[in-house]
Amino acid sequence: MMPRVVMNRRELLRGTLAVGAASWAASATQAAEASPSDEQLPLQIIDTNVSLFEWPFRRLPLDQTGRLVEKLRSLGVTQAWAGSFDGIFHRDLQRANERLAKECERFPELVPIGSVNPTLPHWERDVESCANRWKMPAIRLHPGYHGYTLEDPRFAELLEMAEEHGILIQIAVAVEDQRTQPTMLRVPDVDLLPLEALLRSRPKSRVQVLNANARQASQAQWINFPNLAFDVSRTDGTDAVPMLCKILGVERLLFGSHTPFLVPEAAMIRVHESELLSSEDLRQVYAKNAERWLRGVQS
Amino acid sequence: MPSFSLPGLPSPDVLKSYRIRDSYFTPSHSHPGADGKSRLISDIERSLPAIHLGQFEKLCFFPHVGIGTTTDPQLEKLLRTNPQVVLEPFERWPDLLFGMIQVNAHNVAASLDAINRWIADGPMRGVYFPGGGPAAMTCTDRNVHQLVERVADLNGVIMQHTWFKTGGKQGPGESTPTELAELAAQFPEQSFLCAHAGGEWEQGIRAIQDFPNILAETSGFDATAGFLEMAVRELGAERIVFGSHLPSRSLGTELGKVLGAEISERDKQRILGENYRRLLDG
Repeated sequence: MMPRVVMNRRELLRGTLAVGAASWAASATQAAEASPSDEQLPLQIIDTNVSLFEWPFRRLPLDQTGRLVEKLRSLGVTQAWAGSFDGIFHRDLQRANERLAKECERFPELVPIGSVNPTLPHWERDVESCANRWKMPAIRLHPGYHGYTLEDPRFAELLEMAEEHGILIQIAVAVEDQRTQPTMLRVPDVDLLPLEALLRSRPKSRVQVLNANARQASQAQWINFPNLAFDVSRTDGTDAVPMLCKILGVERLLFGSHTPFLVPEAAMIRVHESELLSSEDLRQVYAKNAERWLRGVQS
Repeated sequence: MPSFSLPGLPSPDVLKSYRIRDSYFTPSHSHPGADGKSRLISDIERSLPAIHLGQFEKLCFFPHVGIGTTTDPQLEKLLRTNPQVVLEPFERWPDLLFGMIQVNAHNVAASLDAINRWIADGPMRGVYFPGGGPAAMTCTDRNVHQLVERVADLNGVIMQHTWFKTGGKQGPGESTPTELAELAAQFPEQSFLCAHAGGEWEQGIRAIQDFPNILAETSGFDATAGFLEMAVRELGAERIVFGSHLPSRSLGTELGKVLGAEISERDKQRILGENYRRLLDG
């Protein structure tokens, strides 16, 4: 397929969003300030939801980082927030996060997002390492796979700690549709309802929910939480994205593709296919909202 | 219109060259509205931006015709006594839409009448066996055989809803690809479309692999990477047909599965249009 948003390697490296992992925040801020509303600029795309390395139950066509980045570049993605499948399945998360950080150093588009499992002893050390040692702007949680609910007091502690470090929390509601999961590993979707009370008491926390479906993201209780955002990787339905923009506010929808588990074109086309969003709305969902959230400005 | 190119899609000319035939368009799939059409028409209109963006050539949907495929007795009576209501979307979009009627294997006599009324006399092209609702029946049942025999006589197309759900069937009338294979083995001259490739497609593809008269339909599950690579490898691209599941699923999810797959352009052409055209046109 011929890419329609083309940015060659040199442009990418020169571009305001082409950043090393250590300098992601400053560059993202510059990008947001440099291009506030210029209609003539090419569309920027920040993918807030990719994962590196191998999914244990299937070889995915893009599970090698080089191929993944090549594909994202061909689709015009200028920055990708990368977690890892190791972060779901490994218990030595220091090693998993270190591997992720090193891999991301090889590709200027990749921003490493470490995984934290608050059921592990001394999980706080993982938060510290992500924030201070690897300068990660966010951490990713997989409560379903790690066996806790959002009512767990350790999650509240984690939320507080992330806020102290100024980092964003990504919560993966699911990785795979429950109906197609391997029989040996059936993982229910995460119940998000406990977030309501937690976010009310911690308005400065920043939480992005990944892989929610349109029904989960459109629940009425989320309307009043500007510190809660969703990605669009599994918000299926031809007009689901504009519907969510209407319910939540366009500033709370961040582009995320869940690549390489899903094909990146799916979310990419879904955002614009209804033709209901304005050019400015599209720019916000594809990149500007992610830039703002990374800087800690929710709206 | 945005000043920038919209991401994820090839050019309109490339899309047009695929001559996309959508085998699984699902506007108001379970109920067309109390008047037999308003919700259906509204859902078709809701899908039009995506249909035009994807440069679809034709789409097949599955109308209810009043033989007990919904749980609404008043609607069933309306559709039975006023078939013009069923025809309205086809008359409004004659170049875009064609249909295959939903049948009810629990009521063989009414379904046979409907097959004669709507397929033998036209304009419908085949039948749809649902996987849920009051008309769902496992496709290995003898009742289904009787309907298949008649559809085969009329050279109709058969779309069978299938899923392999982790944890078991959602309802007793649901069918798996393995059960469809059992049915298809008894009608080797008849083609069957395995809707959703079984959902959990790694098992679905294996289940139908040895039955060349079964084609896999691509919609109805997340755009999981690797699906079409496996389907092309194990079935051959000529046994795969595209479905959109619009509007409840998105163009991105369903067209993205094909566009984003690491398969040849030639195979994409087959999957998106050529195979279904061949099936319909003989």
